[in-house]
Amino acid sequence: MSTKTPSEDDILRPMHTFTKKYVLLFVISALALGAFLVGWLYQLQQGMAVTGLSDWGSGGGVTWGLYIGAFIWWVGIAHGGIILSAAVRLLGMDRYMPVARLAEMLTLAGLSAAGFYILVHMGRPDRMVTSVLGHYHITVNNSPLVWDVTVITAYFVLTATYLGLTLRYDIARLRDDLPSFSPNVGGKQLPDLLAPVYNVLTLGYTKAEDKVIDRMVWWVALAIIIMAPLLLHGGVIPWLFAVLPNYPGWFGGIQGPQFLTIALTSAISGVILLSYAFRRAYDWDHIITDDIFRGLLLWLGFFCLLFLWLQLQQLATGSFHPTTDHADATASKFSHPMYVVPMLMVLGVLVYIFAQTIRPSLFSKGRAIAAGLLVLTATLVEKTYFVLSGFWYPSFSIYDGSPGEYFPSVIELLSIVGTIGMVVLFFLVLSKLVPVVELHAVEHLRGDHGHGHDHDHESVDESAEQPEVEA
Amino acid sequence: MSTEDESFHPLGQEWENELETMLDDTEYDSDLGMQMAEDAMRVTKGELSEADFHEKYHDDVMEEFGVDDRPTEEAYEEAQKNAGGFAEMLKSVDSDGEESRRDMMKKMGAGAAFVGLGAFGAAEGGSESQPNVAAAQEGDNTEQDVQWGMAIDLDRCDGCLSCVKACAEENNLDRGVNWMYVLDYEDDSAVDIGQNRLVRPCQHCTDAPCEKVCPTTARHTRDKDGLVLTDYDVCIGCRYCQVACPYGVNYFQWDEPDVSTEDIEAHAHEEMEGEGHEADHMTDDRGRWVDSRAPRGVMSKCTMCPTFQDGLAGEEKVGTTACEDACPPDAIQFGNMFDENSDPQRYADNPARGRALSDIDMTVPSAAALEDDLDGADDDLESVLEASQDLDEEDLRIMKAIEIVSEDFGEGDAEYVEYEQNIIEAFDALEAHGLDLDSEEVLVGLDLADEPDEDEEFDGPSESTAQTVLVNEAGEPESNFQLLQDMGTNPNIIYLGNEPGPQAKQVDGPVAYEDVEADLADGRSVPLADNRKEVLDEMTVGDAGVSL
Repeated sequence: MSTKTPSEDDILRPMHTFTKKYVLLFVISALALGAFLVGWLYQLQQGMAVTGLSDWGSGGGVTWGLYIGAFIWWVGIAHGGIILSAAVRLLGMDRYMPVARLAEMLTLAGLSAAGFYILVHMGRPDRMVTSVLGHYHITVNNSPLVWDVTVITAYFVLTATYLGLTLRYDIARLRDDLPSFSPNVGGKQLPDLLAPVYNVLTLGYTKAEDKVIDRMVWWVALAIIIMAPLLLHGGVIPWLFAVLPNYPGWFGGIQGPQFLTIALTSAISGVILLSYAFRRAYDWDHIITDDIFRGLLLWLGFFCLLFLWLQLQQLATGSFHPTTDHADATASKFSHPMYVVPMLMVLGVLVYIFAQTIRPSLFSKGRAIAAGLLVLTATLVEKTYFVLSGFWYPSFSIYDGSPGEYFPSVIELLSIVGTIGMVVLFFLVLSKLVPVVELHAVEHLRGDHGHGHDHDHESVDESAEQPEVEA
Repeated sequence: MSTEDESFHPLGQEWENELETMLDDTEYDSDLGMQMAEDAMRVTKGELSEADFHEKYHDDVMEEFGVDDRPTEEAYEEAQKNAGGFAEMLKSVDSDGEESRRDMMKKMGAGAAFVGLGAFGAAEGGSESQPNVAAAQEGDNTEQDVQWGMAIDLDRCDGCLSCVKACAEENNLDRGVNWMYVLDYEDDSAVDIGQNRLVRPCQHCTDAPCEKVCPTTARHTRDKDGLVLTDYDVCIGCRYCQVACPYGVNYFQWDEPDVSTEDIEAHAHEEMEGEGHEADHMTDDRGRWVDSRAPRGVMSKCTMCPTFQDGLAGEEKVGTTACEDACPPDAIQFGNMFDENSDPQRYADNPARGRALSDIDMTVPSAAALEDDLDGADDDLESVLEASQDLDEEDLRIMKAIEIVSEDFGEGDAEYVEYEQNIIEAFDALEAHGLDLDSEEVLVGLDLADEPDEDEEFDGPSESTAQTVLVNEAGEPESNFQLLQDMGTNPNIIYLGNEPGPQAKQVDGPVAYEDVEADLADGRSVPLADNRKEVLDEMTVGDAGVSL
């Protein structure tokens, strides 16, 4: 562990530096997003026929494909992110405080990507407002898709509120050191364009509100933790599939917990990657410590275990004495590389994580990164397989065109690259505007007190500095 | 409600007093109003008949208002026929609150208001002591007389794809958009009788899962006739309906449709020229765009031809569909599933009769031809059969057997009734010639009645023998089923024939889709396509020809 003392300067560093690497990453991400936007425009112009999709049944294809698989993937990352951050705030897991804001921001970015996918996936996105909102009072009673839109919106608002509230503390204190942007246009000096943003974010701020905000954030966190299994990735998103009896691979109560575990594994992986990127870029070894990575890895291992355990449940019930349709759906899992390979990847990560708890010397940040990448790849492929396999093995599988053929078109594949680019851009921009590590976290690490934390928790120094795993 | 409460009304004395005050505010007789309201309550409870109620107050109402706008006897009887009647109407009067109740009062005639007062509170109150009133609150108040649906005789289908072609032409569908789809299948688990063929239009489910999941209400059930339709102006193309439908009947419009709306409209006007119809073959009688192929980016499926059902293509098309009209072996019976005398219900009720009726219609000789043939012949059975060129004994036996097993033979407005009437005309010609078709000689001669013993009286035709004759002639389907009944969709298509089992798998049929051409409104003749993916692959960006 580093001996440096975390300081305000550390968390302000992203805003005070401008490197070639930053520009390069920005350009690459912008190109990725741009390439997909061009593809999407082409899709809007030509119709959805530019995808590899077709009608299931006599149509010989699948109705939903990579767009929906990636949609669930992003929602999973987003929902897992907010759960992680809420756990930090609610349970006082202060060890992870330095990455809590990153997780929140990942939630906003992930939800944006997911929301974007909803639009990309639709035949007539231009009717989103008139057709969906216009009949909302009727359709919200029945349609799982409307529930989806509802919870995604709700969680966007909740997370933005949450982030907005915690940002006030930091911005108010660091205001003088935050960047300004007053360009000179045609010899005319414009005022600071960023000042209004900060002013709005800290509107009416007084130190007296710190305590109140602290409690508010705690309650919002409680709401998120309670609602996670009910409405987030443990509820509404899996219900999109789990309530349909005509797809044996989808139907049933296990999809709630299964989706939740997948969401958490992918979100933790996302946070590992993000944390590592920021730590490396801004020399934050003493803020996002090795200990945080070890801790995150342990949690990742725990959720990988749950992930595989629930998959095992489905394999067992689908093969012991299944109905005809279930038998086909399960048989596919045993043989299809899109299922087998992701399972092996997650199993590999699990084995590694358990091994490095027994033998801590096996830990390295590189391996932690590899674990994160493996899990993110595995969850994306598994989620896409999950969507496809529904259409491949429906209960009514009489059609010659079933299982249907599908290979994502270039535009669909570009959407993955494009949305990742979009999320990276989101972080690149946001990190230039506000601290991505909370001031609270720095104060905790330094052992400062008296900034309004009134709930009891064990000594900050102890909990934050005692490594979860003794190296 | 306290025990001292003498109020007739379930909401109690206070409410009753309020009613009385309201009536006092009007120029009309409050006492009469209260008395009528009390009796109206008795009507809803079934203690007083509606007719008696009407009778009791007619004079008073005439005296008070000079007019009695309450249902007349004729209207009452009409209402009775449509189930429920006046009492149901009273019970169903419901409102959200005080204000609307008052507004409603104003809108109702004062005489009707008297009556309505009682019913209003009843529907609002839902007191346990008023079980029949409370019960009336449950369920749907809207009356639906028609539910279009089909009976499809799978044994009669010859797999010619005429229905698929007719549907594609009627709706100007893109290649591979097979709203109507016919497939042959192999099924190891099934009994090896009859043919394994399935005719699959949309099932127009009463509990349609596609409608339930729709995030926009674009997929909806039409109130008046239960058709499950897609409003092309509302659909956002999320395709969740296609996902939720267990039958796979939906076809998304992945790209710009081949035939333009201009061509469709022009063709519709051309087809119905001179008949005074304004139909564009896209808009139904509610003014919603639900018919013909979908525009780009929205979902489509079999509509059961709303343009026909709405009478927009002429009265003669009501109660038919393009596929039914086109089916050479008459395997599709379209009609009102709520009517036990409709084509589909009658056919499903006795498929052997339906099949025989349809078959025999080809050979039933016209009355004129019979008259010509029989001129100068004797009037006994043998001579008649000998003289008639187009009528042999077997035909006559079947015709007579059909009449014997049929109730209300030749009555009604279903399509099969025309067939029955053709038989009746032939029978009339035979009777006119002097052949008594109900006589012992004829019935026994045709083996449709048992010859009585010497001391017995002839007891007429035998229905069971007649039925056996029909079954032997036309055959009986293996089963009568609805597709995927366990999905709880309540489909409105009844199938007659083999039910595909869970392991059934499609095989090539007698006619390939690619060998059948559809003539579209834009003047092109385009071959049908079985697998739409192959058509769509042409537009896929970067299609490598591989599949996951």
